[in-house]
Amino acid sequence: MSATISGNISCAVPIATHDRVVLGHGSGGKLSAALLKEHFLPHLHSHALRMLGDGAIVSAGRTQVVLSTDTFVVNPLEFPGGDIGVLAINGTVNDIAMMGATPAYLTAGFIIEEGLPMEVLDRIVASMARAATVAGVQVVAGDTKVVEHGKGDGLFINTTGLGLANSEFRPLPTSARAGDAVLVSGSIGVHGITILSAREGLDFQVDLASDTACLYPLVEVLRRATDDHVATLRDPTRGGVASTLNEIASASNVGIEIDEASLPVPTGVAGACEMLGLDPLYVANEGIFVAFVPEHLADKAVEAMRGHPLGREARRIGKVIDDHRGLVVMRTGLGGTRVVDMLPGDQLPRIC
Amino acid sequence: MCLGIPGKIIDIRADRGLPMGTIDFGGVRREACLAYVADEVTMGDYVIVHVGFAISKVDEAEAKRTFEVLRDMSQLEELEWVAEAIPPASPVPGGAP
Amino acid sequence: MKYLSEYRDGTIGRALADRINHTATRRWTLMELCGGQTHTIVRQGIDALLEGAVEMIHGPGCPVCVTPLEQIDRAVHLASRPDVIFASFGDMLRVPGSDCDLLRVKARGGNIRIVYSPLDAVTLATRNPDKQVVFFAVGFETTAPANAMAVWRAAQLGVSNFSMLVSHVTVPPAMLAILDAPDNRVQGFLAAGHVCTVMGWDEYEPIAAKYKVPIVVTGFEPLDLLEGIWLAVRQLESGQAFVENQYVRSVRREGNVAAQALVSKIFRLSDRKWRGIGEIPASGLALREEYADFDAERRFALDDITTNEPVECRSGDVLRGRIKPYECPMFGTACTPERPMGAPMVSSEGACAAYFNYGRARPAAAGASTPRGEAQ
Repeated sequence: MSATISGNISCAVPIATHDRVVLGHGSGGKLSAALLKEHFLPHLHSHALRMLGDGAIVSAGRTQVVLSTDTFVVNPLEFPGGDIGVLAINGTVNDIAMMGATPAYLTAGFIIEEGLPMEVLDRIVASMARAATVAGVQVVAGDTKVVEHGKGDGLFINTTGLGLANSEFRPLPTSARAGDAVLVSGSIGVHGITILSAREGLDFQVDLASDTACLYPLVEVLRRATDDHVATLRDPTRGGVASTLNEIASASNVGIEIDEASLPVPTGVAGACEMLGLDPLYVANEGIFVAFVPEHLADKAVEAMRGHPLGREARRIGKVIDDHRGLVVMRTGLGGTRVVDMLPGDQLPRIC
Repeated sequence: MCLGIPGKIIDIRADRGLPMGTIDFGGVRREACLAYVADEVTMGDYVIVHVGFAISKVDEAEAKRTFEVLRDMSQLEELEWVAEAIPPASPVPGGAP
Repeated sequence: MKYLSEYRDGTIGRALADRINHTATRRWTLMELCGGQTHTIVRQGIDALLEGAVEMIHGPGCPVCVTPLEQIDRAVHLASRPDVIFASFGDMLRVPGSDCDLLRVKARGGNIRIVYSPLDAVTLATRNPDKQVVFFAVGFETTAPANAMAVWRAAQLGVSNFSMLVSHVTVPPAMLAILDAPDNRVQGFLAAGHVCTVMGWDEYEPIAAKYKVPIVVTGFEPLDLLEGIWLAVRQLESGQAFVENQYVRSVRREGNVAAQALVSKIFRLSDRKWRGIGEIPASGLALREEYADFDAERRFALDDITTNEPVECRSGDVLRGRIKPYECPMFGTACTPERPMGAPMVSSEGACAAYFNYGRARPAAAGASTPRGEAQ
């Protein structure tokens, strides 16, 4: 897949391939997509996997279920608004909800670094239990492994979820169509900025707490308000709203246009992004989703979501168009447009 | 070069001889070194901060004037633009007329 | 955010753009000399709004982009040492060196930390007395006072395990190099508002007079840039050429005297190589002899690092404004943000990255290529 580079181009030696995995491969941007495409899909090629949805719809006998898995890596393990445990429960529950399914069961696998204080483990597991109760799911199987000190960043958790598919309600990343309205269920950038502020190094304080939440009840509100007519649902985690919209534009082969003025960016997120030179569109979220609904149902959908505690900041942020398929563009304050591309890797704070 | 943003001083202290302040950037708070503006700032003032250092005090009167000039300019009729387009006889040091 | 958001007002911005378009009787060529300004211009589509009246050429105003290859290679070497904690601003991490970049060094186990302020690097040194902390001190004049204070502080506190790899550049020599080039088309400049906050603007007065180019000290928000461009066009339309200050809320003619004083105490002028451009005499800063202890190039053996110097690199043409990023044959094909060939594609302030990321979904200018759909 490397482009051919002719001999007489002698710019700085191009680094065209990666011989090792770098952190950017985990950021949810282009490198992550490339990792999947070049190193996983060539070997693991089930039809369900190739759909690249949040989860897979498979049949078990005559029942259709949704399976999803996610692995959680976060530093610090505990932060305002939650911890790695809550993220692990909500994250997988949400992936199942994004497929239109009803979350039912989870498994949880733990890779624990030698030396992790027991009281930290206790707090996190208790937190997971509470989150599971709120989400209405049971953790039915699990596993633990311990690795040597220095090999594990404290704790990694994998959760795999099983949900009951709904044959009437099946939003898919491939189903967005020109004319659909693009909605967001809440404020953007909150989780990512909370984590950055809790991490050592950048040393700033902000009055924010992670927005991690079980989104299933809000999805139900949306489903009822639109009578099952939701084309696409996705929760923009790592890589932010921008990455998610790009994935959908690509999967559905449509163009997406969003309006900068309509994005719900809370003050603390805006301030932190200004200070660090970050774009809120690429900052991680854990408690919102983007929804693509037919235009004539958009207002009703937004109003319904706003009636729910998790959806108070729900709003329209854009629309799907026939133009520039696969691209996401944004209308700026000045009336111009600019492309909202996927980032190669993580956003880095800048000085310029 | 140079991501510098305005923030409000909400605390001033000395750290082993170095004047430091807590700056509020619209809801985000971070420490910044005030050594380069120490003589001219006090609590509540706005400063421009670049990589953790205040490099200037925001001249609030000028800031307001810039904005008002721009806003008024945007509301003028076309004929008035033409009049404005003729520059002053000699350069005005320090600012747009 | 106060003193920020109001300078993004779309209605006022569009009116300003209209005004510029109506005032210009011909198309003028202006250069902005600051990566932050390039970022705003491309991101907000200001150049597209003013297409008929102004051509904006993006100058070498991104310190990340112009950091010479040798310094990146030295950074990579230092960061790879097991006894070193290498501290850096975030945007330096992806800049390609001769065969590696700092992110890859991190992948291989290098202890690399992103810091927001140079003082954080000094703190790192006090907290890790058994390691050497090296800080990558890059930037234009805006960042020099911060880097100077880090050295001063380390000296004051007796932090002996702290040193800096310096790669500072200054603006006026770059401006002169551009103006002296035989194929120069630039008729006016937007000077960098935060560089001038530190340095003032008197250095630019002889340049404006000698080369008869308007120089407008300009801020970074859309309204600042539009006003700065408007002032430059107004001068050009009336045949005038002087230094004017748009960024009055932050810049004074004398600049920040205290900052200048400490910079002069810690640093001296030196010749500096600019990546993609070559050496420009007296265009950089180096640590003075009294502070040589804090110079990483003195503390560590860095002489036998071989640098693969490119013979001819289009980055230089982009940085000097000779070509637009999309006019480079590698743009969007062999050279993309995830596989950058040169620095302007890496830094988010670099012209190539700005063009690529904010892309051209609007009607393409002649020769423009779209960023998507290229060979992956």
